[in-house]
Amino acid sequence: MPKVLIVDDEPHIRYLLELTIEELEADGVLLLTADNGETALEIIQAEKPEIVFLDVMMPKMSGFDVCNAVKSSPDLSDTYIVLLTAKGQEFDKQKGQDVGADIYMTKPFNPDDVLNKAREVLGL
Amino acid sequence: MAQITLGTLIRKKLFAPLAHRLVLALETPILIEDLAGEPLIATDGAIEGVRYPVIVQGDTIGWVQGNEKAELLASLLAYHSEREVERKNLGSETLHKYKEITLLYDMADKIPACMERSEIIAILTEQIRQAIRFSGLSVILLDKESGKLEVAASLGNEYALGTVIEPVGIMASVWASGKGEIINDVHADQRFVQRPYRVSSLMCAPLKSKESTVGIIEISSAEPTVYAAEDLKLFSTLASQAAVQMENSVLYLELKNAFYTMVYTLAETIEKRDPYTGNHTKRVMEYSLAVGRTIGMSEDELIRLELAAVLHDIGKIGVRDSVLLKQGKLTDDEFHQIMQHPELGGQILSRIPQLQDIIPGVVQHHERFDGKGYPEGMAGEQINLAARIIAIADTFDAMTTDRPYRRGFSFEEAFEEVRRNSGTQFDPKIVDAFFETDVMEAFFRASANLKLRAAPR
Repeated sequence: MPKVLIVDDEPHIRYLLELTIEELEADGVLLLTADNGETALEIIQAEKPEIVFLDVMMPKMSGFDVCNAVKSSPDLSDTYIVLLTAKGQEFDKQKGQDVGADIYMTKPFNPDDVLNKAREVLGL
Repeated sequence: MAQITLGTLIRKKLFAPLAHRLVLALETPILIEDLAGEPLIATDGAIEGVRYPVIVQGDTIGWVQGNEKAELLASLLAYHSEREVERKNLGSETLHKYKEITLLYDMADKIPACMERSEIIAILTEQIRQAIRFSGLSVILLDKESGKLEVAASLGNEYALGTVIEPVGIMASVWASGKGEIINDVHADQRFVQRPYRVSSLMCAPLKSKESTVGIIEISSAEPTVYAAEDLKLFSTLASQAAVQMENSVLYLELKNAFYTMVYTLAETIEKRDPYTGNHTKRVMEYSLAVGRTIGMSEDELIRLELAAVLHDIGKIGVRDSVLLKQGKLTDDEFHQIMQHPELGGQILSRIPQLQDIIPGVVQHHERFDGKGYPEGMAGEQINLAARIIAIADTFDAMTTDRPYRRGFSFEEAFEEVRRNSGTQFDPKIVDAFFETDVMEAFFRASANLKLRAAPR
């Protein structure tokens, strides 16, 4: 069963992403969520989702840290990671590349872009 | 309306373990099936008893089979599903709004930089395409001079580009009222006038900024579609954003035009003092631009070169008539006065913030490549590029023009002079470029349109 993980500390963003991806539940996709970096990493290790939508700005463990941890562990490095950054917020593209993120999207995200990306990665 | 299957509900990450535990806790044989009869959760052993439907908003989405406890479970699942459907409905509305926000953000981001009408229309149609379904779109703009409405953009099945339209029917009433409209069934609307293409539903909004309406935008669907009030609201908002920007761009162009006209008028004023220079400024500008193109200058560089060429002798306004118009040899003192004109030009232009970039081109146009020019005695590539180009254009034109006291050189002789002074008076690279350039074409262009151009490119 293909899995998608959504990670954001802001409940409304998490909810919007959930609503967006929910459309894929009909294709048998399992939707997972986390509201902080540590939980996200635990879920990634336990569930091995194919794609993670990962907020950058989170207290304690940031999206960069989670991404770095995932991409540097051999059995998880295939995980496709979409970094989410807020519009207008200073985003270090170089750092995004350094930690191995696959792409990044800016919030407010276009729901269609998110859905298309998830479909593409999951091959749906 | 959102729909839900019992399968997706039961497979939900957080709900799945609960559902399984609940079934076990009932301590009786239970079978939960989806609508198609596929088992979702089943206890061990034979299942008997009634098959209770799980009903959500009047539709059966699955079954729970077992004793009377199964009915309780069916009701619980129905209740949970109902909530889930409500959540999904609210969710899709929220998402829809969120999508609108991203569109408006995007529009607000991109549009202020657009000064071309075509760019504004392109962004508008793209934003609408992302938000609303349609099979045809047209943007119809008012031509202020002719007072006619003309199709300025068209997508899919709609009026052809450039068609002049008499507003009739629905479009006419939108044009007159200035209010957008949705017509979901055009054939039921008495105002509808047959089109040369198939249309079932349409939405039409004015391109309106504050007071004036600059045009109309319409989207249509060949198949019957239901456009909602919120579609029209977004449609109208995007349309008015575009309309405001179109008006801004017109104001901007008018201002730019006024500025250029002032610049050219200033240059012409100087020329009028010395009738023998004839069309000198215009020719220097055309020669310079032609050379600028030969060496591959960017559009921005060409604009600056053009302005510097037009204004290169502006400082002559500060040179007395008795000196400027003197026929015959100048005294040292008179020559000294003439030599002030590049710097005088720079001083005049220094008061115009928009012309700061072109000052070096004006001030240095009498510098020589070998450092023997004036006012600074700068040499080589230290001299501003525009000034090095204008130096050749200016000298070449002065040589080929008849003066009351001497006949001008032939073009051939003048070319030879330019070549002879390569590396001394002139930058050899620019001399090469000058020889590569079609100077005659520039000459004829300058002669063809004797009035200085007063419009930005």
